[in-house]
Amino acid sequence: MHAKDLIQKSTYILIATIILLASWHIFSLLLRTPALPVPLAALQSFARLLPDELMPHLTISFYRVALSLLIATVLGVPMGLYLGKNQKADEFSAPLIYMTYPIPKVVFLPIFLILLGIGNISKIVLITLVIFYLILVTTRDAARNLSKEYVLSVRSLRAGELELYRHVYFPACLPAILTSLRLGLGMAMSVLFLVETYATREGIGFFIMNSWSSLAYDKMFAGIIAMGLMGFLLYLLLDACEKVLCSWVHL
Amino acid sequence: MEYLLIEALQVSYRQNNQHTPALKDFSLSLPFGSIGVLIGPSGCGKSTLLSVLADLNRNYQGTVLINGRSPQECATTALILQEYGLLPWKTVGDNIRLGLQIRGCSKQEIAKKTEKILHRLGLSGLSKRYPAQLSGGQRQRVAIARSLVLEPELLLMDEPFSSLDALTREEMQVLLLQLWQETRLTILLITHNIEEAVFLGQKIFVMSACPGTIIKEYTNPLAGGYSTRGKMGFLELANSLRAGLRGLN
Repeated sequence: MHAKDLIQKSTYILIATIILLASWHIFSLLLRTPALPVPLAALQSFARLLPDELMPHLTISFYRVALSLLIATVLGVPMGLYLGKNQKADEFSAPLIYMTYPIPKVVFLPIFLILLGIGNISKIVLITLVIFYLILVTTRDAARNLSKEYVLSVRSLRAGELELYRHVYFPACLPAILTSLRLGLGMAMSVLFLVETYATREGIGFFIMNSWSSLAYDKMFAGIIAMGLMGFLLYLLLDACEKVLCSWVHL
Repeated sequence: MEYLLIEALQVSYRQNNQHTPALKDFSLSLPFGSIGVLIGPSGCGKSTLLSVLADLNRNYQGTVLINGRSPQECATTALILQEYGLLPWKTVGDNIRLGLQIRGCSKQEIAKKTEKILHRLGLSGLSKRYPAQLSGGQRQRVAIARSLVLEPELLLMDEPFSSLDALTREEMQVLLLQLWQETRLTILLITHNIEEAVFLGQKIFVMSACPGTIIKEYTNPLAGGYSTRGKMGFLELANSLRAGLRGLN
């Protein structure tokens, strides 16, 4: 059963890759511009650059995204659960959240650069801030909409507040939390690119922009492939987490 | 000896900044080890009553005594809700263990008690399944197991069998009777089903519409007889109940 699933999944991934590469190839033949090299050329330069040039950039980018996701989860989930459970606190905080949520956090980059310096911290804080809102709002709504039956029946077992969070609120909201992480990952990657194009010489975003400005399009696409693969691997990781942690959803 | 004693209970809930009474001047008493059944129109405050007894609602006036103690001091009450309240993210075994876990029982004790109750309710092979993988009757058994594993003195049930088909429903009523005879629990059960009330209730309380209060009380000598269904006396009492309830609507 498991082996069969795995084979099926790998087949789908293979088919998706072929479709992607084929349309890329056709597009590049049609456009005939050096700005869009054929996939083979890009893949060759990706293979050539990966061990020495790309790897350090990839590592630092991965570190930035993964740490941001982690911090945003650790902050956003408990706060979201708390607000979803406590109506008063929710009503009090909702205007604050909704007023600050729509502001594109990227505009604060200059402030973060001044306050936190041009190192990793300012970048991680900005990415974290963007995903934090997403996780907070999704978790809060999931906790808010939790069926009262579950809460009442567990409270009637004389559960305290902490036990309610542990046995009811957290597991009930976990599928929603993982969904928000998947959405957040996409946003994190785009914010990552942006923050890595300012005031840094490290990271896959810098690598791509640097290749672009030196008109090395094959290098640029090697960077894009690397970024895509990194995101894909993180998605697979989140999917695996969901399979293990939320097996009850897929019955 | 009266195990459950309620006198002049009044409970209100807030709606649109208005106090709406759910229960008014509600009095009821139930002897130790007996089965009481509450029957009445929808929205007459039956569930409100159970939430007070289960210490989920402390906002009430009047006297509520369970074996001489207030609901707050009484940790031997178990509650089974209409939709069972089983947690879909926990397996059958974990659902049943939850109450013992919350009480901080030792691992061996939890394992021993869970094993025993699973066996008693015919759920032994189902311990690793999730509630979504069970039939309605099985889910109800799990809900009963989760309550009984705590060895309660008072079992509160809010329309426990209402979503089951007729035959499973009767099976569950018989099972409840058997369990009651084995444990000598005091049971207070809410139902909409007249036959169920007559089959199970040694005392049957008929409630009025909102605000709920008890308007009629029957003492039912037929309750607990496995073969009383369909007998003359059974039908007569059922008809009398039916007439009483019809007058309310």
